Amino acid sequence: MAEATIFANQTQTLEPFKGVKKVTIEEYFSSGHRTCQGCESALVMKLMVKAAGPRTIVLGSTGCMYVANTTYYSTPWVVPWMHTQLGSSGSAALGTAAGLKALMKKGKMKAEPINVIAFCGDGGGADMGLGAISATLTHKEYNSLILLYDNESYANTDIQLSGLTPYGAHTTFSPPGTVKRIIHTRWKKNVAGMLAAGHPECRYVATVCASYAVEMMNRVRKALTIPGPTFIHSLDPCPKGWDYDPMLSHELGELAIETGIFPLYEVEDGVVKYYGKTKAIVDGRKRKPVREYLLKQGRFAHFTEEDLAYFQAKVDEMWEKWEMPGVVAFRKQPGAVPSVN
Amino acid sequence: MAHLICEVVYRGIFQKNLASRITRGIVLSARKAGRWGIAFGRYGDSPQRNGIPAKDFAIVADSKEELEQHMARYEPKELHVTICVDDTLGKGVESWAWYGLQPINRLLLPDGHLLVTSTQSPDDLLKDIHTKDSPYHLWILPGKASFGGLWVYKEDHTEVRILGALAKIAPQFLSIDAVSEAIREAEWGSDLKVDSARKAYERIESRPVRITEGNPETPYAFELPRWWEMREGVTIPSLPIGKPIEGTKGYRPERSTVFKKFSTRTMRPVIDFDTCVKCTLCWLQCPDSCFDVMPDGLYDANMESCCGCGVCEAVCPVHNCITMVNEAAFEDNASQWEMWRRDKDAYKVWLTEKIQDKVHVARSHGFRYRGQYEEELASGSDLGGRPVTEGIPGENAEEKGLPSTVHVHESASIVTGIPEAPGA
Ligand SMILES: Cc1ncc(C[n+]2csc(CCOP(=O)(O)OP(=O)(O)O)c2C)c(N)n1
Ligand code: SF4
Ligand code: SF4
Ligand code: SF4
Repeated sequence: MAEATIFANQTQTLEPFKGVKKVTIEEYFSSGHRTCQGCESALVMKLMVKAAGPRTIVLGSTGCMYVANTTYYSTPWVVPWMHTQLGSSGSAALGTAAGLKALMKKGKMKAEPINVIAFCGDGGGADMGLGAISATLTHKEYNSLILLYDNESYANTDIQLSGLTPYGAHTTFSPPGTVKRIIHTRWKKNVAGMLAAGHPECRYVATVCASYAVEMMNRVRKALTIPGPTFIHSLDPCPKGWDYDPMLSHELGELAIETGIFPLYEVEDGVVKYYGKTKAIVDGRKRKPVREYLLKQGRFAHFTEEDLAYFQAKVDEMWEKWEMPGVVAFRKQPGAVPSVN
Repeated sequence: MAHLICEVVYRGIFQKNLASRITRGIVLSARKAGRWGIAFGRYGDSPQRNGIPAKDFAIVADSKEELEQHMARYEPKELHVTICVDDTLGKGVESWAWYGLQPINRLLLPDGHLLVTSTQSPDDLLKDIHTKDSPYHLWILPGKASFGGLWVYKEDHTEVRILGALAKIAPQFLSIDAVSEAIREAEWGSDLKVDSARKAYERIESRPVRITEGNPETPYAFELPRWWEMREGVTIPSLPIGKPIEGTKGYRPERSTVFKKFSTRTMRPVIDFDTCVKCTLCWLQCPDSCFDVMPDGLYDANMESCCGCGVCEAVCPVHNCITMVNEAAFEDNASQWEMWRRDKDAYKVWLTEKIQDKVHVARSHGFRYRGQYEEELASGSDLGGRPVTEGIPGENAEEKGLPSTVHVHESASIVTGIPEAPGA
């Protein structure tokens, strides 16, 4: 019986796109949004829903992707979209998925798998909404995808620093000072790693970057075909907050990966798999120096050689000292033997 | 009783600091002559986005009471002076919460003044600027669109040159002496900047514009629903799915009927369809879903939605297949692919002409190589032959206890090579 399968968490069948020529021609997030020139997060919206297809509901936490996308009485969305409070992408995803399931169970709507995607910015997802996302990732009976688009600041309200802002970046909360050059001295949170490690019943967590569009869309498709809650963390260059010529958006995404600052990986049923350029790095390819990435951005314009060296050392540490490079920040105890009791 | 209302129309973010310096400079200058004033931004334009047109205002009045009278309005509806600091906005303004295209001179009172920073001639500018039902004065301050709003601040004295020009336009409100005094005291001012303002004051000239002059097109407009016409729950109808073009092979995404990007770009892509290898990258990577998929597999950048970011040019693997060209070079938003299909030879001629200036036509908001902007400024603007970085970073060196000729080189920024603010 169709209903029975729906209630057993049936998902849509979404085969990976085998190459760029096979990508869906239709747009489900079109034009008419008022994001910045070169906004990579707008591209993420377009690719995310292109991958998901028409039978999809999108929920959006307050931030640029709400405010700039749906200014008074206009929308670029082709699929149903709803605004949800800043910090509540997790609750919205869970509630919508549960609501759909209940309606289908009661026969109030046709039983069919509908994709539920909730997106949030780094402020809404990695800071204030983290608790709700964590809760959602424990509800394995509801299918939903939470996509965190990470422009590394509270961009909509004019670039305040978030838990995902990189070390040393110039934001409105951390302008380089005259006495102290570096105001923001904390290292970026490792959200995907944390959520993957902390939610054993969440079957899929991945990191993506829209500079690698097909790979990114295929991660979205996979997340939507795996039953239960899933999570994707996308790194999005933001010309306004990062202060660069908008034409560099694509290149900066690539550089974030090639320098090893943002590793691409997926954790499926507890198994970590690196992919794309990151896999090549794990297999021994040299990482590009972080300065190539940092110096293209005005938010690091105050960096001196000393700061660049520190940043490089921290990234090196992620790759050389972490239990699982770029994913799990634990260090092995030197010479330790696993305890038996 | 007299008052002066000015607006500054600018590219959001890129020129945000520039615009606020201008409007604050107007108020500070007027204060020097005992007048009252206020500077503020257009509420609906905030938070700003890169490149999206925005407005700031300055109101100056003889008395506090008269100023209050004008402040009671949400935003000025009639202006004595419009200052436009990016001449590609001469085509019109669709600011953040503005629907449809607002001609740049729309709010000007009869015999008002339009001041534009531009390297174009008045006649070229008037090809873009819409006709108006009353005469006005056009002033051109020679210079490119300034990047003054970026964090990595690149100094070009545009803000003070505008203030100097304004002293010529409205001397009864801002005398050049008052402007000079205000600049000297501003945290971004310096003696060199005072000189620049005075030079602009001496050199600026106007040209009267008759009602018959300008772009005769009717600006793009539409009706917004009234609140009682909105759907329950303030739901908004979604965009319909796009339509195939000429059979099933081509595809054109549906586009918003209320937000176009006719005035959002400073550059636009020009495509050489003869060298395109149909790799799809421009189509795939465009954040604004601009590209129509044509039946022959080519991609046509649709000017209804292009914001001119240049990502398509950056990702195109074929040399010179997509070239970003300054928006000022175009008179319409017609399809390039249609033009190419109609007459390939004529298209080639058109394309060659448009892209010939690739090296010299600077992005108004960016640069093709590091340091390009400074180089161009050094050669191009009205600074009296002195190096543009002299006494910079623009801070009032005297006020900080340093003679204005002292250069602080120890902590130069490694991106720009420009010294950090003293004491950084
Ligand atoms: C509870 C709450 N606090 C503050 C705000 C104001 N606000 C609107 S958007 C925004 C920034 C959100 O940042 P982020 O989630 O990183 O998304 P981005 O703007 O970067 O896209 C803030 C603080 C709000 N809408 N709701
Ligand atoms: S501020 Fe950043 S995320 Fe927001 S619209 Fe602009 S580029 Fe996009
Ligand atoms: S410049 Fe190119 S990538 Fe950018 S909006 Fe226009 S068509 Fe799209
Ligand atoms: S990126 Fe260049 S080569 Fe590829 S389809 Fe677009 S125009 Fe053609």
